[in-house]
Amino acid sequence: MALNFGDAFVNLMPKLMSSLLVVLQITALAFILAFVLGFLIALGRLSSKKALNAILLVIVEFIRGTPLLVQCFYIYFVFPALFKLMGMSISISAVTAGILGFGLNYACYMSEVIRSAILAVDHGQVEAGLALGFKKSHVMLRFVIPPAVRNSIPVFGNYLITMIKDTSILASISVAEMLLVTKNYAAKTFQTIEAYTLLALLYLIISLPLSQVVRILEKKLNHAKR
Amino acid sequence: MEEQVVFEIKNLKKNFGELQVLRDINMEIRKGEVVCIIGPSGSGKSTFLRCLNLLETATDGQILYEGADITAPKFAAHEYRRKVGMVFQRFNLFLNKSVMKNITVAPMALNKVEKEAAEEEALELLSKVGLKSFAGAYPETLSGGQQQRVAIARALAMHPDVLLFDEPTSALDPELVGDVLEVMRNIAASGMTMIVVTHEMQFAREVSDRVIFMADGYVAEEGTPDGIFTRPKNPRTKEFLARVLKEEEE
Repeated sequence: MALNFGDAFVNLMPKLMSSLLVVLQITALAFILAFVLGFLIALGRLSSKKALNAILLVIVEFIRGTPLLVQCFYIYFVFPALFKLMGMSISISAVTAGILGFGLNYACYMSEVIRSAILAVDHGQVEAGLALGFKKSHVMLRFVIPPAVRNSIPVFGNYLITMIKDTSILASISVAEMLLVTKNYAAKTFQTIEAYTLLALLYLIISLPLSQVVRILEKKLNHAKR
Repeated sequence: MEEQVVFEIKNLKKNFGELQVLRDINMEIRKGEVVCIIGPSGSGKSTFLRCLNLLETATDGQILYEGADITAPKFAAHEYRRKVGMVFQRFNLFLNKSVMKNITVAPMALNKVEKEAAEEEALELLSKVGLKSFAGAYPETLSGGQQQRVAIARALAMHPDVLLFDEPTSALDPELVGDVLEVMRNIAASGMTMIVVTHEMQFAREVSDRVIFMADGYVAEEGTPDGIFTRPKNPRTKEFLARVLKEEEE
């Protein structure tokens, strides 16, 4: 059997490109959701309200203790079933389920990053702000959160890259992302080697420059901090 | 005529859990006074100073500032702190802001000073503390002594009525202490009300109107610098002074 990369490239690539768009859409929305939710969770966990802290801790531990794929299955298959049981009918698309699943899951991990970054800001900065006459909330907004976010940017960057690659698991809830498209193509044409090799290369082409960007950012931030 | 009372402290107590750090402090601070608080570590000096600008909450007792009870529940601490500046042992400059921004951020945000006016004043303050050419620098590029002088300029930019100093030279290399003390001397000479927790006995002796010796959470002795340093009455004061003055000679 002769390998035919040219043929696979011409036929598979356009399909991969349109599914790449789906992947980027899901990633962008899920990442924004994860950032916002993660931020809120972090602030809640840092608040002095013990009950809120406890509830959030349980949620975070629950989500971090179960696999992302299971969570996506849960949202896609179980939620509609539960609503049906309660006499309501909702339908949730695979893409929406993916965005929600990834958003929630990554929010929990990112909340820990944000929380520790906020805790890592020297308490002297807080006291200086208070002593000048800023309110507590303004001290957080002006003097604590900006350096905390800045210091977390490289970690967020790495999470973004991981998320792009992780979206391949959404093939199992029928999202037309790149793995599913490739799998279908390989099944139809038997160009298994060519198809999956192209897919792997495409992921590499996306993630390598991104990791480079993260590395440069990291250097810049370290330099600015000195 | 007696100067107006700025602070009146009545039966102030502060516990950290089981530990009684301030046992019963009573004191008056008058306008324009420079008061130095000395004493062994762990005597509660810093905690007392931090209670004065509400970075610590008093466990019991009262602190009156110009007659108003600042220890009352729901007291607006942030507005009060604009009138009472604080200089910290570890400077606490905003690390991600330039020297200029460190000084102008509070006047611009809280006193609604225009940027241009705030920067002009910041430059004046910087030249007062001998750092005019450092406006664009970032804190981490400065020495400890320079950072502390910027911190003093930052506190002055709010035009406080009182300045609190929490061991302002304790974190500095010995050769950098002099410049900071010089700046503090000039502020004292300008008539500012100052409360200074310090280990610099020479400074306390020369600059202060009154010296307070604290030990074990009490004011053990207070008096004129001359009285405290040459004729201490309390045995604790005698012992403390004998020890630190001997160390200073060495």
